[in-house]
Amino acid sequence: MTWTKWSYMDHWVTETPQGPQPPSFNRAYMDRYVKQLSALGFTGFDTFFFYLHLLAGMYGSVPGFERFLQDNGFEKITGIFSAYPSATKWTAPHVRETHDRIVADCTNTLRMCEGLTGVENFIVMPTSTYYQTEPVTDDTIKVVADLWNRVGRLTLEHGMKTTCHFEFWGAIRTREQLDTFFRYTDPEYVYFFCDTAQHTIAGVDPIQMFRDYRDRCTGFHFKDTKNVDHHEAYRTPPDPELMAPQVTRWFYEMGEGGLVDFPALMKEIVRSGYDGWLTVEHDKAELGGGSYAEATAVAKWYIDNVLAEAQAEAEAEVAAR
Amino acid sequence: MKDSLRWSYALNQWNLRLDAFVRHEDQQRALKTVSACGFDHIELASGTGRWDNISRPEVILLNHGSHQGFLDFLRTAKVQGVSSMFWDPQAPAEEEEGYAFRSTANPADSDAIVEWAKPFVDFVAGVGAEQLVVRPVGSAWMSPPLGEDGIKLVGEVWNRIGELTSAAGIGLALHYDCLGAVHTADELRGLLSATDPATVGFALDTAELTVGGIDPVAFYRENAERVTHVHLKDTRYADTGEEYRMPGAEATMLKGGAGRRIERWFFELGTEGGLVDVPAFVAALRENDYPGWVVVESDHGGNPAELAMLNSWYLQRVLGVTK
Repeated sequence: MTWTKWSYMDHWVTETPQGPQPPSFNRAYMDRYVKQLSALGFTGFDTFFFYLHLLAGMYGSVPGFERFLQDNGFEKITGIFSAYPSATKWTAPHVRETHDRIVADCTNTLRMCEGLTGVENFIVMPTSTYYQTEPVTDDTIKVVADLWNRVGRLTLEHGMKTTCHFEFWGAIRTREQLDTFFRYTDPEYVYFFCDTAQHTIAGVDPIQMFRDYRDRCTGFHFKDTKNVDHHEAYRTPPDPELMAPQVTRWFYEMGEGGLVDFPALMKEIVRSGYDGWLTVEHDKAELGGGSYAEATAVAKWYIDNVLAEAQAEAEAEVAAR
Repeated sequence: MKDSLRWSYALNQWNLRLDAFVRHEDQQRALKTVSACGFDHIELASGTGRWDNISRPEVILLNHGSHQGFLDFLRTAKVQGVSSMFWDPQAPAEEEEGYAFRSTANPADSDAIVEWAKPFVDFVAGVGAEQLVVRPVGSAWMSPPLGEDGIKLVGEVWNRIGELTSAAGIGLALHYDCLGAVHTADELRGLLSATDPATVGFALDTAELTVGGIDPVAFYRENAERVTHVHLKDTRYADTGEEYRMPGAEATMLKGGAGRRIERWFFELGTEGGLVDVPAFVAALRENDYPGWVVVESDHGGNPAELAMLNSWYLQRVLGVTK
């Protein structure tokens, strides 16, 4: 059976009377956005913590928004993304003195999620930018790990797993740093979220990463890239994703000739027995004149045709064992 | 779409201007979008020249080698075939006597227009499509009112082309549009009377009829036997002030250049304030066991992929069509 748990990560930009805007521009635009995802057959929705107040305003509450999703064939909101990409005096995962404030923020986000059907992932960027955090030592990673152990315990009380999504420009980016981080975090409280493009750019094989951390993996961002960072772009202040001199656009949708071998990943997922949500992410798809709508349709076409075939092949292989 | 009706999607909305939809990979993305929305057939629209390489039979064949080569190109994106192709002989094309301006309303142009039809007839038949959909007459503002005799002359051209399409095993469908010189319901009835029901059908466009002041559901019920093709789209406006007679109505009316300054007349199914009763129209098609294609189109109403997805949503969630 074709994979039914496909979720969409909420990066969309659409044309409005006031120029290109996120669909949270107003209720009518959100409605149209959800209908489009529904038409393609997505059944999960991932969003950012900073959209929750907007959604509550438009639909009465965050559960009110989820009910609108469900009226359109969705199962539920599957993940909430929270992040501190820029370190500040008040919030910096590698600075222990800021941890109370970060935990308080997370508590607020969890409060906004009360009454939802069952958000599974509390997705976090474990660190801020590399250049603000370096030198990245074992001790630095230990401080960061302590924070997410603490948040992981908290979110689990609300039924959500704290799962870590690593950026190519984040302070934990190499395979060695990732391994150190996972050694310092408690497997009961801190999980792994596999972003295929981010790892590839950082020179980490996402398929091997999934193979090695299968037991802690709670989700994926399926997105592609055409570049590995060979020029230390990850240290570009303040934002390597948009300001790297050598690469103007890092992220692409599946099926556009990028470096990630998605059929191989899909087979690995089937072979592993993983049966959770798979999430499509289009990050900055508008760069170079791209359209989120078309990127989403093309990615779903790739899922329905190319990945469905890879899935079927792997399932036949597993059944023949 | 798994349904008793056959659904297709018009690619015309992707061709935003003459040099914007040329690269094959861009065309593949449009085809994949249509496919992901649940449509496995498309309607093509005629154009002209090197940049309209998915719009001119000669250029399509040059690009893909053969009819089969073009079908293979579509099937790479899981689009299985072509339902129909739209052609307007009044639109000047360099392939047609170097941008000659000709009109079906001028008997002196008839032979040339019949000749021009042949590549389209051959292409539609060659790719296994079913209908050549045509604009029967030019814009109303460009010529004096046709009168009964004028409409008969127009009908005679299409009867001649209808013989060609029938001989090739395909249908010919006259498409009403809201700027056309055949404008009122009576004029439209006159054109249908002037053409041979055995070889010339009617392409009913729900939004165009509504803009033109004709109720598409009532007109369909009255003329169901003649309707061999459908374009399904919505509108929020009717042309209540005879704006179609304004000079340059293509820009002054349809692009909001003058008149009420309505910049967009055509909308996706389910649009707020839509004037077309889409559920009633589709129910009427079902009651009559309508056998032709229903082509959904959004006709330059915004981001093509967004509109295709919204139309797909409407089919799935409002009309109950399974993807």
